[in-house]
Amino acid sequence: MLEALVYGAIAALISGTVLPLLYRSKNTRKTSFGLSLLSSILLLGFAGALLYTGKEPVFPPIRYLPGLDFTLVADRLSAGFILLIAAVVPGVSIYSVEYVEHAKSEAGKNLQTALTNLFILAMLMVVLAGNMVIFLIFWEIMSLSSLLLVLHDYSSEENKKAGFFYFVMTNISTAFLFVGFISLFRLTGSADFGPLEYSASELALPFLSLFIGFGVKAGLVPFHKWLPYAHPAAPSSVSALMSGVMLKVAVYGFLRFLLSVFTPELWWGVLIITAGSLSALFGVIYALKENDIKRLLAYSSIENIGIIFTGIGLYVIFKVEGLESLALLSLAGACFHAFNHALFKSLLFLCAGSIVHATGTRKIEAFGGLVKTMPATTALFMIGSVSIAALPPTNGFAGELLLYQAFFQSFAVTDPLLTVFLITALSSFALTGALAAALFVKLFGITCLALPRSEKSRLAEEVQKPMLIGPAVPAALCILAGLFSKQLLSFAGWEIEFPDLLLLGLLLGLIYAALFLIIRSKETSPARISETWGCGIPTLAPHMEYSSAGFSEPLVMIFKNIYRTKIVHKAEYHDKQESLFKNGNVEIRLLRFFEEYLYIPPARAIESFSKYVSSLQNGKLDSYILYAFLAVIVLIIATGGFV
Amino acid sequence: MIDPLFLEGIIKVLFVFVLISAGLIISTRNLSSALTTYTIQSFLLAAVSFLLYLIDGKGQLLLLACLTLASKVILIPYFVSRIEEKIKIGRDLHFAYLEPTPSLLLSIGLILLSYTFLSRVFEGLPLSKLFFFGAVIGLSLTLMGMLVMFSRKKVVTKALGYLSMENGVLMFGLFVTELPFIIEVLIILDLIILVLLTTILAVGMDSSIEEYRQKFRELQIWTGVESR
Repeated sequence: MLEALVYGAIAALISGTVLPLLYRSKNTRKTSFGLSLLSSILLLGFAGALLYTGKEPVFPPIRYLPGLDFTLVADRLSAGFILLIAAVVPGVSIYSVEYVEHAKSEAGKNLQTALTNLFILAMLMVVLAGNMVIFLIFWEIMSLSSLLLVLHDYSSEENKKAGFFYFVMTNISTAFLFVGFISLFRLTGSADFGPLEYSASELALPFLSLFIGFGVKAGLVPFHKWLPYAHPAAPSSVSALMSGVMLKVAVYGFLRFLLSVFTPELWWGVLIITAGSLSALFGVIYALKENDIKRLLAYSSIENIGIIFTGIGLYVIFKVEGLESLALLSLAGACFHAFNHALFKSLLFLCAGSIVHATGTRKIEAFGGLVKTMPATTALFMIGSVSIAALPPTNGFAGELLLYQAFFQSFAVTDPLLTVFLITALSSFALTGALAAALFVKLFGITCLALPRSEKSRLAEEVQKPMLIGPAVPAALCILAGLFSKQLLSFAGWEIEFPDLLLLGLLLGLIYAALFLIIRSKETSPARISETWGCGIPTLAPHMEYSSAGFSEPLVMIFKNIYRTKIVHKAEYHDKQESLFKNGNVEIRLLRFFEEYLYIPPARAIESFSKYVSSLQNGKLDSYILYAFLAVIVLIIATGGFV
Repeated sequence: MIDPLFLEGIIKVLFVFVLISAGLIISTRNLSSALTTYTIQSFLLAAVSFLLYLIDGKGQLLLLACLTLASKVILIPYFVSRIEEKIKIGRDLHFAYLEPTPSLLLSIGLILLSYTFLSRVFEGLPLSKLFFFGAVIGLSLTLMGMLVMFSRKKVVTKALGYLSMENGVLMFGLFVTELPFIIEVLIILDLIILVLLTTILAVGMDSSIEEYRQKFRELQIWTGVESR
């Protein structure tokens, strides 16, 4: 019975992929998104039933090659992530019905529809994959379909660069996964996910390569740079899927190996927490300085992935220390935060898409006053911002609360050095939370409040209905998942000590209502509506407002060691000896630390090596015969046993 | 019946001449003398084959000798000399990667290499000294032919290098593997086609079809084809 739901969802997604490729019409696209919506409902039923009953369905394997089975496996872990997919997809599908129509060409619209369905299907299959081969196949389909989606507007130079960057990074990720899988396969001789009994030193290589492989895809610092490039280039609905779901699929992959294949070591936990905390902190610090709305959200995704990995690291440490209940708590925190982040980040990306569509720019400095021109989008955007800033009673608060609970009990760890490490991580975690709140105050405030800062923003119009209903789904889920977080966790089988946020929410609501009534009744004269006092200047102008850079300036000052600047000289000369100056400029810009010190040097090295290799192919017959000659000589020397 | 030992002695002398001819092909700058050297080399091979026939008495070897004489001593050199006449290039002065002297030094190294290599490979095999030397000469001739191919610039010389390389294969086959006769015939057919192709390529690899015809007409190659 349960299996049928999965098969139905897969069939719906496949037909959703194929249909738009066959017929080019608006109705086909609508049907296709309807099919993905249907699949998510089926998956919701499947994952809910699995989580509730705990009964794992059995999928009969299909043998497609000798020794390689097409196996699907669904357990509680995969069910959790299927639930995540099923929660994000409806909003995105409804939103896309309208959003995809803004693409330039008819073919582009259909392609985007088909690829979106394929992308969802691939992510679903990665989560369902029963062995490493299937996992890798769908992992690659997922990467490539998302790459094509990032490249949807391939005419612009910036997008091409973003696509290339993403392509390289995703291949690096896959390469590391390959290394990890092959080294595991060498140990066990099997491609299945099963527990291993090997010494720690043998497992170090597979663990590290899988950690890097999944880390690149999830966007852990220092492998995060593709996110802020790919997201602005991709359509917003795709950004919502990529940031909301694809990053979580990488988290799923990592958890799958950590939970059901490896027996973790202490240093793994320390490594994961370190990487997680750094990602969280750097993500939010870079986001604060950002002026592009989608890039800002991308950096914020890096921060949240950092939080999720911190939770996973906590799980590992507690597990190794033998504190089972704490380990469970941290794991629940990590998974729940992954779920929550999927919801509010897709919500925020969808809203950002609407705003960018309405104003025609991604620059935060050009927004403002949207609360008057786009009230519904602003309301949805606010729900997202409140959730991601982790304010009660939203789901963001619930998820981070679980992690704080786990952190606060870290005194149960006996090793004092480890306790100090955990407290340090806790403080950085707290700092991250505070900065994230500041970040979203800035984003929401500058974008939606005050006066419009540009003509485009002043003339912005509210978007069409599907683009409002779409984000409304995750927005509603954000609030519901927050209010019913305790119920949700116990439904999923996690009986943890956790405050009932429903009660808290009701209490908060009552207090707000009471305060409102008290103020209302104490009010002596009716409220007077007028402009803010502008120091005597007759009319307020937009340039008097807080700007985006101005708002983050104090924080930038505090972290100025991180935002290092670099002076760049560019000059052109008339002659080769560089003595006759033609023109040039000098700029002081932010140092792109990771890019300039971590990414570019190896890329340069590979480039010069490739240049050297390709110079061997010089188009001269003489050289080719020489190579053949040398090969024969080498062969003679080798087979003759001279070496 | 001639004394086999005497015949073997003669074959050994011929080996030395074969090597010298290979060295000459590597170092000579004059196209016509390179061609003559190749003709002599092929003739020496035919002689070796004939002498082996006298020792062994296998009819196949006699046929091979005749075939070599007909194709490599008469037919192919005739074609190549016609090319040389027509293209009006008497000398090949340019070398790639290696000048003649280093080439000769390198070919000494190649001979030594094939000697040590084959002595290791044939260790423990019941092979007489003559046959072992034949194999060494064959292998080094092949390698030296290859050396000619990459170190000379003119296509005609390259073709000669290839032909001399094939002589090495024939030599190796004569003494070690006993190539089936039919394969030897096929190789010779290939060679003739190769030389014909080289005629075309040497005349105008860089030309379009129209210019090609023009050149053929000027050089009066295959006038029959061009008569219409």
